Amino acid sequence: MVFRPGFGPARPAREAAIETFGEAAARRIAKVLLPAADRERLARLALPDAGHGYDAFGLHPAWVALSVGVGRFLYDYYFRVESIGAENIPASGPAILAANHAGMLPLDAAMLHLDVLRQSEPPRLARPVADWFVPLLPLVSTLFSRSGVVSGSRRNVARLLESGELIELFPEGVAGIGKPFSQRYRLQGWTVGHAEMAIRHRVPVVPVAIIGSEEQWIELLRIRRFHWFGAPYLPVPLFLVPLPVRYHIYYGEPIVLHEGWKATAADDPTIVEAAAARVRQAVEALLARGLRARRGIFR
Amino acid sequence: MNVLVTGASTPLGTALVQALLDLQDTAHVVGVGADPWPRELPPPGARFTYVQMDLTHRREIRSLLGGPRRAVGVDAIVHTALHRSVQAAGRRVHRLNVEATRALLELAQDHPTVRQFVYRSYAEIYRVAEDSPCLVGEDHPLEFAPEAPQWVRDRVEADLTVCSQMGLSPLRIVVLRCAELFAPDSGSQIYDYVRSRVCLRPIGYDPMLNLLSMEDAVRAHLLALRGTVQGVFNIAGCDTLPLSRLVAVTSRVGVPVPGPLLAPLYRLRRATVGTEFSYRMNAPRFHLGGVLDGSRAHSELGYEPRAPLSWKEVRRWLAEERPSLQSFRRRRRLRRTTAGNRAR
Repeated sequence: MVFRPGFGPARPAREAAIETFGEAAARRIAKVLLPAADRERLARLALPDAGHGYDAFGLHPAWVALSVGVGRFLYDYYFRVESIGAENIPASGPAILAANHAGMLPLDAAMLHLDVLRQSEPPRLARPVADWFVPLLPLVSTLFSRSGVVSGSRRNVARLLESGELIELFPEGVAGIGKPFSQRYRLQGWTVGHAEMAIRHRVPVVPVAIIGSEEQWIELLRIRRFHWFGAPYLPVPLFLVPLPVRYHIYYGEPIVLHEGWKATAADDPTIVEAAAARVRQAVEALLARGLRARRGIFR
Repeated sequence: MNVLVTGASTPLGTALVQALLDLQDTAHVVGVGADPWPRELPPPGARFTYVQMDLTHRREIRSLLGGPRRAVGVDAIVHTALHRSVQAAGRRVHRLNVEATRALLELAQDHPTVRQFVYRSYAEIYRVAEDSPCLVGEDHPLEFAPEAPQWVRDRVEADLTVCSQMGLSPLRIVVLRCAELFAPDSGSQIYDYVRSRVCLRPIGYDPMLNLLSMEDAVRAHLLALRGTVQGVFNIAGCDTLPLSRLVAVTSRVGVPVPGPLLAPLYRLRRATVGTEFSYRMNAPRFHLGGVLDGSRAHSELGYEPRAPLSWKEVRRWLAEERPSLQSFRRRRRLRRTTAGNRAR
């Protein structure tokens, strides 16, 4: 068992009853936004609690409910997400979901997050791993961490995997989310961290292809000198809101990268690169399958 | 076991002395403090001696371990004596924080009976940056920024001074990097922050904090003393919570303020009301947070936080304080001390 810092005895009733303004607001708004079925699924989620209702990364159930409540309108009505192969999401234990990334803003990560929550049985919460500059963004950093997002450092990912969590990684990173329209569905710089972590922590990698996100927003221009709060650049979109493209999320069969290797093989760059290439090929194959099956970007 | 505890007049030192005396296998405890015999400490007896001493003088440290007290046969030293005030600076403060630690360690190494050296370090020595993980391990980078306040720089230096002797010294050395010890008069910046009825915090940020109770801090020191391992260990507390929740459970009013305004506002508050809290020192963790990862202490030292803070008691402490008058006096005293230190 992995020791969770701050994991302590339950709070006395009076202290547990004290709610901050944010917690109370999140709980009330979520109650209004969520239908009973979603509330029931959320109630079945096994969320870590470090003693005050939060986990060490800042996740809080009321905020998770709020993010699901807000996101479900995008999921159900705007992007009309269709899920294929969700039975490949492991029902328990640690795993890495490795997906393609695009669309200027990480709406694909949010849709994948919601899709895992909707499709997994028992319900699971995938923890998206964000780029290092995200914790610097005011409001966004707090909202993200309360909903389960963690910043992309090695120790954070390692701790989550050791705690048996499901994590959502985008090996393309910023290069992916900012890829030009002409490069859609072509995987950009594929980092190898996910393969290294999978071998080291002996966890499977589920390849995921997200069809639709790569056409949702077209970048008109990019202000490269904009670095407020650590942002790599400021994208200027062609439209104010994303196009209502239809999302199709394909889950591939889990890949066991650590098979035949010891955990120390994660230190060998050749092994790690070969493992990452396997995941990349699996994602590319799923993308090709999804694009072949699609009847149009809005259908 | 005969134990020498420095900083015995501080809340942690006092609690540690009491806990050691409660143990059956403790033969004698020597408490060392800068103040006259504190009321909280037990009266002198066969099992306890209190020594009032200025640790900034090497000669006095020598007399502490040698001379007539050599007969006590000290087996272990627990060093907790570091200057608590963030506002205090100067050579004298550095002598206490760093030079005294170095001298005590050197003398302990040459001492015929001392076998263990336990050093109480601080979580504040870790660097907080945007690329830092939320969970801070023992291998996390330390804060070496030259612009860091002396309070931090001294602690980093003292910690590394002790760590550098691990494996080279005949002593078993244990460094306990403790999370924020949330108690009055313990030098806790966060405690001082919530002493004010209105707590300003950066708008858009709500970092995660980890707070340590006195009971857990004492237990960690006892485990370090009675264990067989040496090394550096993070000592996490039971209470992991965001800043906004801390403000709520302490019955304070939290006011989000744009980040750039916080430093001048807290400077103004310090100048008028007088507080120990330094926003400059806490700015990175008030934006990014960071929680100690206590896995190593759990697996090797057998330490697991068990005693959460009693928020009812915390609220009582805060209600009993008279911040303005106390702070004003403290500020005046501090100014004199700092001016004196700089002059020296």
